[in-house]
Amino acid sequence: MTSTQHEICVTSELANLANIGVFVSERARLSGMSEKQVFQVQMAVDEACTNAMVHAYQGDPEGEVRVCCYLEGNEFVVEVVDQGQVFDATAVPEPDLGKPIEDRDIGGLGLFFMRKLMDSVVFATPSEGGNQVIMRKRIGGRSS
Amino acid sequence: MQISINHLKRCDLIALSGRFDSSNAHELQAALRASMDAGVFRIVLDLKDVTFFGSAAIRALVQAYKECRRWNRGDVRLAAIPERIKEVLDLAGILPLVQIYDDAVLAVGSF
Repeated sequence: MTSTQHEICVTSELANLANIGVFVSERARLSGMSEKQVFQVQMAVDEACTNAMVHAYQGDPEGEVRVCCYLEGNEFVVEVVDQGQVFDATAVPEPDLGKPIEDRDIGGLGLFFMRKLMDSVVFATPSEGGNQVIMRKRIGGRSS
Repeated sequence: MQISINHLKRCDLIALSGRFDSSNAHELQAALRASMDAGVFRIVLDLKDVTFFGSAAIRALVQAYKECRRWNRGDVRLAAIPERIKEVLDLAGILPLVQIYDDAVLAVGSF
């Protein structure tokens, strides 16, 4: 069963990341997640929104980023939607954390966090254009 | 977000507070750069009052860490890392590599 959806819609200015963080944390907290899980969700959503602002809109602050939260069964679901250039997340290599830090290319860390901190991350390209990222995390599940 | 820099005898102590995300990580990068440009490669980052530390801030930290450690000329050491931030740094594989201290006094004293 899906619960009521709660949404925040902001321009693609990086300064809006803080507002999104407050919104998502509040929704996650109200869903019954632990503070640890709330932080993990905030972190993953911050990285998804950063990708939308930096990569999809390529730094243009006039774009629109929509973040929508709802519950589906025992899962907290967050959707991040933009109308920017299609972003191929599969083309971004995972950071090699096994390498010594001196030799490490630190790129790809945002996507790495999203995948690690959420139970599932799905990237979609809606027919009307842009990108949609759907992230799910079980309330009280692993890493709780 | 706030950054305050203390030039000490042994090192620079950079105290951070608030939220560090992609919108302001460049300010952290600039603070670290200013120390390094002044020839100071021994830096303590006091994270006691940090509430959020995203991948852009981690990139700034790693960049400075690499640069300070080059030719064994220095190090970036972390102090008073809040639990949630510690988990994130651990996930990024950084925690086992850097020296961490319970508070800034111990971190400064380690140099």
